[in-house]
Amino acid sequence: MDATDALEHYPHATPPTDPDPPRPPSPPPVATATATDPLNNPYASLNDLSHELSSLQELATRGSWRSILDKVARARTNHLLTKPHEHLTYLSFHLIALTKLRRFADAVAELDSLDSDLDSPNYHYQSYPHHYPNITGSMVPFVLRWLHAELPAKLGNRQETLDRFYTLLHFVRSKLSGSSKLSHFCVELWKKREVFVINTIISHHLSHKEFVICLALIKDLIGKSEGSSSEDKAALLSKLGYVQMQFGDLEGAKATFSVIEGLVSEGKGGVEMENLVSRNKALLYIVGRDYVSAVREYDVCIERDGGDAVAINNKALCLMYLRDLSDSIKVLENALERVPTAMLNETIVVNLCSMYELAYVNHSDIKRTLSNWISRVAPDDFDASSTRI
Amino acid sequence: MSGTQAAPHSLAFRVMRLCKPTFHVETPLRFDPFDLLTGEDLLNDPVASQHLPRLLGSQSISSNSTESDLTFRSRFLLQDPYDAVGLSGLLVLPQSFGAIYLGETFCSYVSINNSSNFEARDIVIKAEIQTERQRILLLDTSKTPVESIRAGGRYDFIVEHDVKELGPHTLVCTALYSDVDVERKYLPQFFKFIVANPLSVRTKVRVVKETTFLEACLENHTKSNLYMDQVEFEPAQHWTATLLKADDPHSGNDALTREIFKPPILIRSGGGIHNYLYQLKTSALGSAQMKVEGSNILGKLQITWRTNLGEPGRLQTQQILGSPITRKEIELQAVEVPSVIILEKPFTVHLNLTNQTEKMLGPFEVWLSQSDSHDEKVVMVNGLQTIVLPQVEAFSSTDFQLNLIATKLGVQKISGITVFDTKEKKIHDPLPDLEIFVDSD
Repeated sequence: MDATDALEHYPHATPPTDPDPPRPPSPPPVATATATDPLNNPYASLNDLSHELSSLQELATRGSWRSILDKVARARTNHLLTKPHEHLTYLSFHLIALTKLRRFADAVAELDSLDSDLDSPNYHYQSYPHHYPNITGSMVPFVLRWLHAELPAKLGNRQETLDRFYTLLHFVRSKLSGSSKLSHFCVELWKKREVFVINTIISHHLSHKEFVICLALIKDLIGKSEGSSSEDKAALLSKLGYVQMQFGDLEGAKATFSVIEGLVSEGKGGVEMENLVSRNKALLYIVGRDYVSAVREYDVCIERDGGDAVAINNKALCLMYLRDLSDSIKVLENALERVPTAMLNETIVVNLCSMYELAYVNHSDIKRTLSNWISRVAPDDFDASSTRI
Repeated sequence: MSGTQAAPHSLAFRVMRLCKPTFHVETPLRFDPFDLLTGEDLLNDPVASQHLPRLLGSQSISSNSTESDLTFRSRFLLQDPYDAVGLSGLLVLPQSFGAIYLGETFCSYVSINNSSNFEARDIVIKAEIQTERQRILLLDTSKTPVESIRAGGRYDFIVEHDVKELGPHTLVCTALYSDVDVERKYLPQFFKFIVANPLSVRTKVRVVKETTFLEACLENHTKSNLYMDQVEFEPAQHWTATLLKADDPHSGNDALTREIFKPPILIRSGGGIHNYLYQLKTSALGSAQMKVEGSNILGKLQITWRTNLGEPGRLQTQQILGSPITRKEIELQAVEVPSVIILEKPFTVHLNLTNQTEKMLGPFEVWLSQSDSHDEKVVMVNGLQTIVLPQVEAFSSTDFQLNLIATKLGVQKISGITVFDTKEKKIHDPLPDLEIFVDSD
């Protein structure tokens, strides 16, 4: 069968190299008059931030979460972490890895095993002046607060997660209201965190189809986005358009998308923005059941960016609605082979498997071929249950 | 022939309901390097804020993005801040049949697979919907049969049907074909589903002077939130209707902002309600003669709702009725009531009885009926308790008097003046209470 041939020839992603052997901890950064001296940059590489951070980051971008678990375990057992903040960095990577691997109970247990509350002075730089001379403030990576809020929902307690995120939002806002003490860059950073938390809250309400509150939150974000780049504004307005479309307000979605087109013509564009506008146009065609025009728009996107996974996936669905199941399968299979790092997405696999179930009476064989290929190529956190074998 | 086993079919139908796809939503596990690689307050430090932005900025997706990027960076790092919403625009095929409701359109992908090693030829395909009441043909290739489906091949089609009945429905797909055997083979397959009622509409009609108000309460029985795209009242002949709405708080904004931020009418799934209020007026000149006796048809509601990606559903209600107008056979009126009434001194009330029918009515008897309460009536007839009135011609009237006496001071009521048609043996509704003031001497 065609499908089998296509998948056989994909080359493996290169496996990560072994991490470096342990080396002595680097000296603490010194805040002196040499700060502006480019030859004495205390933050020349990630490893200056934390022990072997480069390697952790590299493993994370490759999706090698099991290797990260090993690395963290080894660092802890061999007492390789000498500074307090390093423990928190490693804890963060560890929790992300456990969460990515869907080991939610383990992640919660680990977080609960922390001796102190995240606001405790134990996590302040100034509590360790010999490690961090002249540095004050919290050494907690913000991600830990976010995970602390997100994890209860993973174990079924959605209400607790929402409460924690609203509390976290309040925390971020109180940091911003004391902003006279913060540098301009810090203020920008905390504003980004405020947007991050609001976005996560929107995501939770959206999963539960609580559309009215999503609209209110998005409207709030639009109000805050006055100073943002055109790209960011376009991205935000697109979310509004998608929410409107999702619950059926087609006129509202059309109006929103036309505002985005206005932004694009103002700004310089770029492939990202142009494809966003084209994909939005295609969605309007889909809603109007003009699948032929939608396919045409998606083809334009793919021409501009061969790795535009959303365009490829949605194009395949349009082909199905045009009664062309065979081509819809081919589009997804070819793209998986050609740009796997972009296309290896659980939703895309679910779509392809739905197509297989429709196309083949005995679909287990072809799904197994797909599943085997995925296990060779996909990152550790890929949810294999998406093939529904 | 007994003992023969039926040959297995080469062909099989595979069916998938094709409602609109949905957007994939999922809270992503993607982060900003500044939130992971350093403490949240480290950038307060001047040295850190000097160097870290460049160092951490180099970790972002945009600075590393090339088509040959072989990492799964985009599963770990946020590209733009709004990636955290987890709504990328990626569409998902319907994963289950789901519920289907009256007023929606049933759409399905049907694929006939040939999973055998033989070619199938001259395939006559039929698809129809069967309900309790009827069979609706959706597809029939009898006139132009499909020539062939090769081994391992497929023939696909999409069927659509506007659902207009409640209850069980069956999609019946049949194929009549020849393969390696001599005899034509017949393959029927049945796919059942049940159509439920999406909405109930409760109406209330109130008449205030010349205006009729219609209140319609829509209740959502489906499993989805329903976006009310259009709810329109179509008035019957001689009526006009206006929708009454609360003031729009966004009316100050420009047209585009209003369009984007107009609060949508979304009725919550599983029992949510929304009320609509219409003001109705008769466009014909309203005089008593114009009113037609019997039921009073106001009009009907046309409802269009939408669910995901604008999937529409349409229903209209039955005729909504106003209060029935009945013309009374007789009209009894008080023509004159004395302004000064003295306690225990007789007084006269002049009354008029009009025959509103086209035939002679009567003779009549008029009396003051006993009140329901146990108290004695305050105002009583002075003299003969029953007045006799002769017959009244069609469309004409007669005047008469009642001689009454009041037994208590102050504001009192003359109640229960009742007319009895002695021929028809019919008691008409009593005259509404008349208020009087009883003074002392």
